[in-house]
Amino acid sequence: MTDRPLIYPNELPRPAGELEALQAAWKLPRGWRILSAVNNTVIGYFYIGTALLFFLLAGVLALLMRLQLAVPSNTFLSVETYNQIFTMHGTVMMFLFAVPAVEAMGILLLPQMLGARDQPFPRLGAYAFWAYCIGGLIFFGTLFFDLAPSGGWFMYPPLTGSEYSPGMGADFWLLGIGFIEISAIAGAIEIIVGILRTRAPGMTLARMPVFAWTMLVFAGMIVFAFPAVILATIMLELERAFGMPFFIAEKGGDALLWQHLFWFFGHPEVYIIFLPAAGMVSMIVATMAGVPLVAYSLIVVALIGTGFFSFGLWVHHMFTTGIPPLALGLFSAASMAVAVPSGIQVFAWIGTIAAGRLKFNTPALFVLGFLFIFTLGGLTGVMVAMVPFDWQVHDTYFVVAHFHYVLVGGMVFPLFAAFYYWAPAFSRTQLSEQLGRWAFWLMFAGFNIAFLPMHLTGLLGMPRRVYTYPADVGWDELNLVSSAGAFLFALGVLVFLLDAVRNLRPSLTETAGNIWKAGTLDWINNELYGLRSVPIVTSRDPVWDQPGLEDDIEAGRYYLPFTYSGGRETIVTATMDARPDYLLRLPGPGWTPILAALFTAAFFMLLTAKFVTVAFICGILAVTMMLVWMWGSDPAPLPPVDIGKLVVPTYRSGPDSHSWWAMVIIILVAASLYLSFVFGYVYLWTVTPQFWPSPDALPAISKPLTAAALILASSLLLFVGGRWLGQKLGLSVMLLLAALAMWGAIALTLESLWRSGFRPFDDGPSAMAYLALILQAQLALPLTVMAGFTLARQLTGKLDPVRRNVYDNLALLWHYAGAQALLGLALVHGFPRMVG
Amino acid sequence: MRHVPTGLIVLFAGLLAGCQAEQSALAPHGDQATEIAKLAWLLFAMAGAVLAIVLAAVALALHAPDRVRKRLAGSPAVIVGGIAFPVVVLTFLLVYGLSLTASESRGGTADLRVEVTGEQWWWRIAYPGQNGESIRSANEIRVPVGANVEFVLKTADVIHAFWVPSLGGKVDMVPGRTNRLTLRAEREGIYRGQCAEYCGGPHAWMGLTVVAMPAADFADWLEAEAATSLTPADDGAWAGRELFLGAGCGGCHTVRGTNAAGSIGPDLTHFGSRRSVGVDTLPLSPENIARFIEDGQHIKPGNRMPPFRIFSGTELAQLSNYLAGLK
Amino acid sequence: MRRWRHWLRIAAILIMLAAGGGFLFAWSGLYNVAASSGHFAITEWLLAFVMQNSAEARAPLVNDPPPLDDPALIRLGAAHFQIECVSCHGAPGIKPSPVMQAALPAAPYLAAIDLKWSDKELFWVVQHGIKYTGMPGWPTLQREDEVWALVAFLKDLGRLDATAYRDLAFNTVAEADAKRRIADGNLPDMAQQCFRCHGSAEAAPISALVPSLNGQSPDYLVAALAAYAEGTRPSGIMQPMAATLGDDDRRKLAEFYAGRPKLAPASTAGSATDLGRTIAVDGIPDKGIPACLSCHGHDADASFPRLAGQSAPYLANQLRLWRKGVNTATPGAEIMAPIAQRLDEAAVDAVAAYFASLADDSAGSPP
Repeated sequence: MTDRPLIYPNELPRPAGELEALQAAWKLPRGWRILSAVNNTVIGYFYIGTALLFFLLAGVLALLMRLQLAVPSNTFLSVETYNQIFTMHGTVMMFLFAVPAVEAMGILLLPQMLGARDQPFPRLGAYAFWAYCIGGLIFFGTLFFDLAPSGGWFMYPPLTGSEYSPGMGADFWLLGIGFIEISAIAGAIEIIVGILRTRAPGMTLARMPVFAWTMLVFAGMIVFAFPAVILATIMLELERAFGMPFFIAEKGGDALLWQHLFWFFGHPEVYIIFLPAAGMVSMIVATMAGVPLVAYSLIVVALIGTGFFSFGLWVHHMFTTGIPPLALGLFSAASMAVAVPSGIQVFAWIGTIAAGRLKFNTPALFVLGFLFIFTLGGLTGVMVAMVPFDWQVHDTYFVVAHFHYVLVGGMVFPLFAAFYYWAPAFSRTQLSEQLGRWAFWLMFAGFNIAFLPMHLTGLLGMPRRVYTYPADVGWDELNLVSSAGAFLFALGVLVFLLDAVRNLRPSLTETAGNIWKAGTLDWINNELYGLRSVPIVTSRDPVWDQPGLEDDIEAGRYYLPFTYSGGRETIVTATMDARPDYLLRLPGPGWTPILAALFTAAFFMLLTAKFVTVAFICGILAVTMMLVWMWGSDPAPLPPVDIGKLVVPTYRSGPDSHSWWAMVIIILVAASLYLSFVFGYVYLWTVTPQFWPSPDALPAISKPLTAAALILASSLLLFVGGRWLGQKLGLSVMLLLAALAMWGAIALTLESLWRSGFRPFDDGPSAMAYLALILQAQLALPLTVMAGFTLARQLTGKLDPVRRNVYDNLALLWHYAGAQALLGLALVHGFPRMVG
Repeated sequence: MRHVPTGLIVLFAGLLAGCQAEQSALAPHGDQATEIAKLAWLLFAMAGAVLAIVLAAVALALHAPDRVRKRLAGSPAVIVGGIAFPVVVLTFLLVYGLSLTASESRGGTADLRVEVTGEQWWWRIAYPGQNGESIRSANEIRVPVGANVEFVLKTADVIHAFWVPSLGGKVDMVPGRTNRLTLRAEREGIYRGQCAEYCGGPHAWMGLTVVAMPAADFADWLEAEAATSLTPADDGAWAGRELFLGAGCGGCHTVRGTNAAGSIGPDLTHFGSRRSVGVDTLPLSPENIARFIEDGQHIKPGNRMPPFRIFSGTELAQLSNYLAGLK
Repeated sequence: MRRWRHWLRIAAILIMLAAGGGFLFAWSGLYNVAASSGHFAITEWLLAFVMQNSAEARAPLVNDPPPLDDPALIRLGAAHFQIECVSCHGAPGIKPSPVMQAALPAAPYLAAIDLKWSDKELFWVVQHGIKYTGMPGWPTLQREDEVWALVAFLKDLGRLDATAYRDLAFNTVAEADAKRRIADGNLPDMAQQCFRCHGSAEAAPISALVPSLNGQSPDYLVAALAAYAEGTRPSGIMQPMAATLGDDDRRKLAEFYAGRPKLAPASTAGSATDLGRTIAVDGIPDKGIPACLSCHGHDADASFPRLAGQSAPYLANQLRLWRKGVNTATPGAEIMAPIAQRLDEAAVDAVAAYFASLADDSAGSPP
């Protein structure tokens, strides 16, 4: 415990009208215009509400399945309906509930926890939410038109190829989910930059709440994991729509390539879902025990370790595919190793409970329930990591039981704990303790009654994804018990809903407050503008350790108790030590994010339904909306501002700018996507050697060399252009030439491949060569639009040697695209020559 | 602490005793399945112990005297409980698991090689004949007891998985690849298997029967299986044969010794000697054959055989009697 | 806000008054429903306006037409028109029946007017009919191919004189034969229509889209007529004919056709491809397509049709109907539809061409 500071950044009393100006800047749009709101609290509410809606919808699907399986040879659901339902249950729970729900918690809680006024990119956050909400609802709606996918949530080809799944269902999955993942990535960018650049002054990385650490690892994992499955969905959609045979064995593709790409995403996905939930548990345990978290540093190390390990064990979903024993051993070892970080966290929580006195309330109950269920799920996880054991239980109800223990135990129980825990911070009244206990015990009992017997059902030989089963095999009673448990669990959820309807009164200004006596900033009275003034944080649990903090913040004695520009603002701080860096002006409400999301969703869904023209019109409208919103960003620098005995600039460029960080993360996403492609290319070469072109069949080496020269020239032009900002004609010519060179390289490579007789439909390797070009064009297209945008900024005088973020970010992505193109050329034209 | 996992095992064993499963990984009848079952029990014991330790730690953290709680509340306890303890347990398990993986992957020399091809939604089976020809069959595999049988696993369409829990683990059938699995049945019996990788449509009804029989009986059976079909015994069966050929059944099915030489559906040369109709969907009987011919799409929805509702009652009886007579 | 409510209230009162007044008017019997009384000019204009716009608005949803200048399509349409439409609408050289001319509205004498409708509008009108005019819709909504045949004919109608129409819509040789046999008491009156389209021993069918029935088994033909009559095999052309035939007549016609010698193949062997032959003789086992001849060969069951020598457009059209799921309810279609759905477009044309070139199906039977 430290003493109150002797000197505060700002003096009292605060000038009249200061608070009113702050309130005016952060005022919410009224009535239905609330849909144009972009600040994190409103979007956070919407986000959580939508995620919960999908939880209920997918839960209803689960109940339908349990009804069907309650008795053998049941005809309640037809085969096709059941197959669609289990596919949708898995897909919706994973993509439309679990990831968005934790992302939503991050969007809602992080700014408060970190002492920021809002997320750094409010409109991006709003766009990500609306894209997910609209796209998700349409995707779910396919179920009512018999258009839902039925290939299982991991969509293994060739079953999901056009030959065995001719309808539109698989396309809805590929385009719908691919697009919703893009929205998840947008959220991840927001979260990373928010955590790294908008922490309260003094909140070094080591003073950051564990929840923020988990969200940082979560978002980082999204950046590296999701691109793999996005690439996979692009490939399968190209195969389905245009016949590029990536996964068709007889044409030199390979079905297992999908599995590698999918699980490279799919395994980290489990931890992506679990880690933030573990972060919530850490927050709740510390508060309810009334002591700081034990072994904070070990937990942080464990989180980062989990993040790394989880990328090294995707093959543990493929133990039965006939992979050589050595590889099996490696991945088996990695799968076990990942249990260690979870062990650290479990014992850290136990230690924290031991250090304090746990209050036995509903959040604590859910946490204890989580500990039991998740530990059991972890233990069965170790079991399935044992290769021979997995040979028996893989794809059986044992695995169904295992991953429900991990996911429901590891994510749903903590989420409900979080609902009960954080409700007082966001609602006028807390949730009912009595109903909460009912909800917990019903869910806990129901869950175990439903899923514990499934371990045995699986060992007795029942495979998963069967719409029914014969009567005499010994699975009847176990299934009936599981079905009963599922309904008990649903009853628990219903009690929670009842509680929410009766007691949850969401409010943005008046809340029940810090009833648990928690120690972190999220419990200090929050208004629409966040905290009244942004504190200097000197501890991990500032409310506990900094006496009078709450009053001082409320009085406005800390940083930025006012609005400088009259609009929304927050302080950007340095990544490591959180020293105030500059004042970031934030946008207010606007219609562009929701409209852009609407048109993006329309683009993807109409494309799936093969309304190509209308789809492209919507696509153009979506891009237009984004350009309109981008036009308003990067405002002209204002004179530096004194935020409280500290003068900071209002504009930064280069690595100091928060937008630079976002661009770097975008590049990391693109690079992960491309590296997945490189992996796919080399992998295919190892499994289908007979389909690979001999080096002499390739285009003459002069062609790729010319293309490489064009790419280098294009990058050079951009580099030089950075020194010519403000020279309208010169810069225009340079950008034009650079774009021409970039497209010229693509055209030249395309032409040389085609002339040499390669056709994308003929075989896997050719399809891969063209895919390199498609991925390049996928960057070149937005780059061209951005170049036009940059030119427009230049011509309207919104770009100069100081106000240069638009150009710098363009150049950054441009150079990356060049590097990617060179790698692609080396791969397609160099690799076969080198090895063959 | 020790009585807890034992209790758990007793509980599980008690549950098991009640069911006569011919498809259980915990009721092994083959050496691989036996090894894995042993591993399973070991894992259950370990898991039970670990769970008990964690729960005990939670209980202590909540209710123990301050002296004990103080010990739990610190980095050393986290390092011991969260790092050292799992590392020791996991290393032991890993070594055991890897050695078992290695020994089970080797497979040993094959006494018999059976080719099994997964199809939507049935199994094409070929045994080696004496002169290198292959003896075709479907949906029911017979193996000699005690022999190392190597299953050569392929697929004709999507990914399937070959799995007979009582004999051993499963292996996927992946397009463009050939996977192998060696199993040995330790005793006579009838073991049920099932496709374990979701393969669309009526994946639930892609069952499989493995009959383990004494080696001598197996040799006789294989010889009979290699022969052409029996000639119909009476006029009714002859009429059934005519119906079979006239209604185009031969477009998809083979009955060796007749014109029927289709290769789309299961080989029916010795259909009457199998145990089931519709790939382990109904027990074999003339009535069930008749039901499947007329109403297969309700019995096994989505299967690739169209319903044949073109026969009169008498004709249907003649046809199904003929098929049931194909011993 | 206030003003808005005020106007809403006034609107509600007006609507109630109008509804009440309308009911009183109807109840009083003042309105004259007599067809002979005609419409006011304004009513007539309004009805035409509504009809035109209704068709125009829905036409864009109609699927794209097949090539409408296909003579097979036009002749099939003409023959059907002659049977079902001519009494109301007349034809070149044939006046419409005075009966429908006394209706309100009178059926238009199509040969005398200029049809200004687009292809898709015509399709929509023919498929759905027009409310309150006596114009019926097509008996089944599933057979778009048949509707297009009629549309093709209507598009051609403008250039036809009486002779050209007779040549198009009648099968003179076959019908003369039919009349003789009807007069002899061997065949029912309907035979004239049967012969017109399906031909006879001497004459080929009127259109390549119409099958020749010669040499088919009587069981198959009787079952087909029954299926048409019940609508389990949907056809707006065949259903009205089959439904009016009694069991005896169906059997008589079936026996008659069964006894006729087969016509020469519809096309020559040169047009067949290897693909067609492969599918017919061996099937494509990988795709689950059995050999056609296992059910359609010489020795196959009498409930299956024989296909050798049948015209290629007819066969291809039938296969496409199965592919689209139009015809799935008869026992035969239950077998055929799933198989046809495994054929791709190229396979459909190839296998149709192969059977059209085949003189004798016994040669191709599988071993």
